[in-house]
Amino acid sequence: MKREFAGDRMVDVFARKRAWHRRRAEAPLVEKVRILLDLQRQEIPLLAAQRPLRRWERPWNITP
Amino acid sequence: MREEGVVIDYAIGGATAVLFYAEPTRTYDVDVFALLPADESSSLAPLVPVYQWARAHGFTVDAGHILVHGVPVQVLPAYSALVVEAIQTARVHYYEDVSVRVVGPEHLAALALQAGGARRRERAWLLLQTARIDRDQLRALVRRHDIDVEIPDEA
Repeated sequence: MKREFAGDRMVDVFARKRAWHRRRAEAPLVEKVRILLDLQRQEIPLLAAQRPLRRWERPWNITP
Repeated sequence: MREEGVVIDYAIGGATAVLFYAEPTRTYDVDVFALLPADESSSLAPLVPVYQWARAHGFTVDAGHILVHGVPVQVLPAYSALVVEAIQTARVHYYEDVSVRVVGPEHLAALALQAGGARRRERAWLLLQTARIDRDQLRALVRRHDIDVEIPDEA
């Protein structure tokens, strides 16, 4: 019984995750560029902690 | 660049092209595939005229990238039959009223599968999951270009 409940919850979590990815895929291009800039800003400190950054690896200085 | 004959044709590829069809994936540069005039594409330094053009028009060239309004753009000569086909069949999209040629989603997925590696396989998977890919067209593409991969009916 408990296991079935957990299984249902997981199905629900995966369905919501798929819907979230779908929304991001169908967002307007300008919104996607905004998401990309966020990804760049989030990742750069992590990359820099692992290895020297390449010269072009920096967040784009643009406003979508 | 095209009007002045420095490149014959071009199309945006890589992760930036994915933005036009699927969920954003991180990248720090814009890959532009270029068909170069025959005498340049066979030379040892095919991109010299491209960089010369960029400098002459006030763009900075740094580490193989042309900085266009703060965005590093890497021009890549068409290096395979698949890339040539991807350029020739590119779709025209608009970003803030500017038209750009962008590699179509099926060719993007095929290029990612052909290049291989974890990140590119992930990109192909992302396209299969969230872009409107014509799977029969993609299957025909991978067959025609000898890419050894099975395209599932559902991703």
